Formats: sequence, C-alpha cells, structure tokens
Amino acid sequence: MTSRFERLLSIALPAATAIAVTVTWQVAVTLADIREILLPTPLAIAGSLGRNLPSFLQQALITGREALAAFTLAVVAGFAGAALISSSRILREILYPAIVALQLIPKVALAPLFIVFLGIDAEARITFAALLSFFPILISTAIALHNTDFAAVRLCRSLGASGWQTFWSVRVPFALPAFFTGARISSTMAVTGVVIAEFITSREGLGFAILDEGSHSRTDAVFAAITVLCVLGLALYGAVKGLEMISVRWYRG
Amino acid sequence: MTVLPFIEQQITTSGDASATRRLRWSMAGLRPIVLPLLFFLLWLGGWEWVVDHFPASRSVLASPSEIAAVLVKSFPLLVPHIVSTACDTLLGFALAVVVGVALGGALAQFHRLNQALFPHLVLFQIVPKIALAPLFVIWLGVGTESRLVFALFLSFFPIAAATAAGLSSTRPEALRLCAALNAPRWRTFLCVRVPFAIPALFAGLKMGMTMALIGTIVGEFVTGQEGLGYVVMFAAAGADNALTFAALALLCAVGLLIYGAVVLAEVVTQRWYGAPFVTEGFN
Repeated sequence: MTSRFERLLSIALPAATAIAVTVTWQVAVTLADIREILLPTPLAIAGSLGRNLPSFLQQALITGREALAAFTLAVVAGFAGAALISSSRILREILYPAIVALQLIPKVALAPLFIVFLGIDAEARITFAALLSFFPILISTAIALHNTDFAAVRLCRSLGASGWQTFWSVRVPFALPAFFTGARISSTMAVTGVVIAEFITSREGLGFAILDEGSHSRTDAVFAAITVLCVLGLALYGAVKGLEMISVRWYRG
Repeated sequence: MTVLPFIEQQITTSGDASATRRLRWSMAGLRPIVLPLLFFLLWLGGWEWVVDHFPASRSVLASPSEIAAVLVKSFPLLVPHIVSTACDTLLGFALAVVVGVALGGALAQFHRLNQALFPHLVLFQIVPKIALAPLFVIWLGVGTESRLVFALFLSFFPIAAATAAGLSSTRPEALRLCAALNAPRWRTFLCVRVPFAIPALFAGLKMGMTMALIGTIVGEFVTGQEGLGYVVMFAAAGADNALTFAALALLCAVGLLIYGAVVLAEVVTQRWYGAPFVTEGFN
C-alpha cells in the first residue's frame, strides 16, 4: 500500500510542480503586465505553436534528419574507432591523450570553420554535429571494450577462441552498457550540434527558425519553436533508450 | 633456494647490461608521454607540409607557422577577447556552482523536494538548451550579462544533478553506523555524506565547466560583440584562416587551463579527505 502510494507520488509530484510553475508563470505575467516581447504567457506560446505548427514541423523534419544522420555517423565511427584503439596498445598510447584533449577543448568553436570547409548546406551541419557527438561514444566504448573482465578473456583464450570471437561474444556484450551511456550523451550532442550549425549557417531548420523569430521579436514563436525542438531531442533520446533496453535484453538472452 | 635465481640475475646484469636495462625501463615509463608528443609533432609537420605543397589548401587552412606568427603579432589585440571569454566562463561557472550545489544539497536533504524536482533536472539535461541562447539576448541584451547568465544556465544542470545524486548515494552501512552512534544530522551530512559525494560532485563540476565554456562561446556567436568565439566567427567569415586558427588555439588553451584547475581542486580535496584520486581510464 505504501509502496503504491510512493510510486503514485513519484509521478504526481513532478507533474504537480510542472503545472504549478506553468500556472504561476501565466498568472504572474498577466498580473505584472510584462510585455509580450520579454516573456509571453504559456497560453500565448500554445497559441503561437498552433498557428506555426505546419512550418515548424517542416523545419523540425530538416533538423531531425540532420541530427539523425550525424548521430548515425558518430555511432559507426565511434564504435569502429573504439574497436581500433582498444585492440592495439601502441594506437592507444598514441591516440588516447589526443582524444582526451579533443574531448576537453570547446569543439563548439569549430562551427564557423566547418562552414569554411564545407559550405552552408546540410553537409557542414551534419559533419559538425557528428564531430560533437563522436567523442562521448568513442571514449566510453573504448574504455569498456578494453576493461573487459580479465577472467572472462582468459577463459576465452584457454578455450582456444580467436581474438575475433572473443571480441564479438565477450568484449562487445560487456561494453554494451557503456556504449549506450555514450550513445545517449551523443544523441543530445547531435541535436545540439545541428542547432548551433543552424544558428551560424542561418538557412533552414529549427535553429534558424528560433534565431529568425527572435530577431523579429516574436518571442512567443521562439518559445514555440524551442518546444518543438525539445520534443525532437527527447524523441531521439527515447529512441536510443529504447534500443538500449531491447539490445540488453537480447544479449542477456 | 628460491632466492638464488634472483641473485644470479643480479650478478649477470651488472655493468653495461644493467645500464641498458635501466634505460629501457625508463623509456617504458616515458612511452605514454613521448609517443603522443611525437604523434603531435608529426601531425604539425604533416600539416605544414600539406599547406606548403598544395596552394589550393590555403583557401581553408593556414600553416602552423603562420598561425603562430599571427598569434604573436595580434596577441595585444586578442587580449581583451581572451579576458572577456575567460571572465564570462569563470563567473558563470562560479555562480552555477553556488546555485547548483545549494539546490543539489537541498534535494538530497528533502526527499519530497527531490521527488518533485529531480525528474525535471534530468529532463533539462536531455533537451537541447543551447537553443535558448537567442532568448537570453532578448532578455539581457547583447552585452556580457547575457553570455554570463547563459553560461550559468547551461552549467547549472549537470552540477545540481550530480550533487543531488552524489549526496544521496552514500553507502547505507555508513549511514547506519552514524545513526547507531547518535550522530546529529548535520554532522552525518558534513562528515559522511559530503566525502562520499566528492567523486560525483567533481564529475558534475567538470561537466559544468565544459558547459559554461560552450555557453559563453555560443553566446558570443549569437551576440557577436566580443570574446574569442566572436573572433573565430568574424575571422572565418572574412576568410582569415590564420586568425581563425589562432583564436581557436587560444580557446583551447583557456578551456584546458580552467579544466586543469578543476582537476587540481579535485586532487587537493581528495587528498584532504584522505581518499584516493581515481579517474576513469584504461586499466
């Protein structure tokens, strides 16, 4: 009985907080008579969302497609890179410090450079976002692939398993949780990267829509576009989380 | 009997042999430093060679020597931008630490508050908050305030979430012991919960610091007034590749310096509490 009550509360309390904040926002903005340009009410944002939904969905399609492409690139390259540096000691010693340094430096600042390299079209945005989301996957997967339970690797070796077999049936399943932790971070980085690139290229996508509506002082539309973008980000994150649950269940048998 | 082979080994490896062995041993210790350094120098050399031998690459690249020359020549001009970026990042980060740690501590202390707010903290970690940058310009203008507050906003969430998670992940045995010894709540908090939370707290601080710098740079992109991010964008738009790369190098230096300071603080804190300093990496 109490545990059921607790479970109910763990859903009801966050929901109540969200509702309370929204209502307070609406009432405070209306009562304090804050100008629409500074802070629109939640109702005004909902209205703007309803009006602009077709155009925002069109932009969301562009942003979503680019984020997905970037994320896929990052997953493939990140996993391949991780397999490479976890399997060779010399490569690890040469590259790992460089990778850690690259992980730490603010890669966001490279965005204008990608425009110089690749122009202002989708390729530049996708490549930039892929670069941002590449490192979390690479690092977490490489460490997990390397730090496999030593006893299991020894067992494989004494049973005469080839390096390849050990890799696929022991190292990869062992690294799966870490891979997905990296992939979840990467999925948020992919959307972030595409949005930053859209800010700079200023041609299309939700990032451009946000910047454009902002520069025309249509703050309600800015909030509405951000809402659509948040839904997009959550959808990608949720998809990765879903894949994680499926693949973990698959590997556990 | 068992010591004999050891002694034998000692005798045979005297003189020259021991010198080479010692050399090889110290080389093995230096390997993790020398190899990446060599790789870095090779990379720079290759870069220089490519730019020198393929004039077409000049439209998108500048050679390392040119970048260094520009860095030295325009350094006086770049100083105000370095100061602007560093100040926005550091102040935003410092404020985020104060607010984030306070909220994280409150969440760890009050279970109901945690239930109500923690899901929102997680949600805000996932959504692309970067998209809010133009809003901060609407609210705070194109000056330093909007960049600083945006950096604060971005770095707040990882810090608060990590603090809350770290403070509530104390080993239950330790808490039971405290309860059995009748320790007052605040002492349990200060002497047990806080030390246990240090690794998680610093993981959050490192992430928050990175986010603060990202926030400052994106803020500089959007406001377009000053700062190294602005210089990067301005120089890239004007196809001044050497200046772009010089500003990028400075940004990397600023980022690594601040990150190094956070790691140093972690080492000092861990040593003060007598806990071992561990980072994730290859075994």
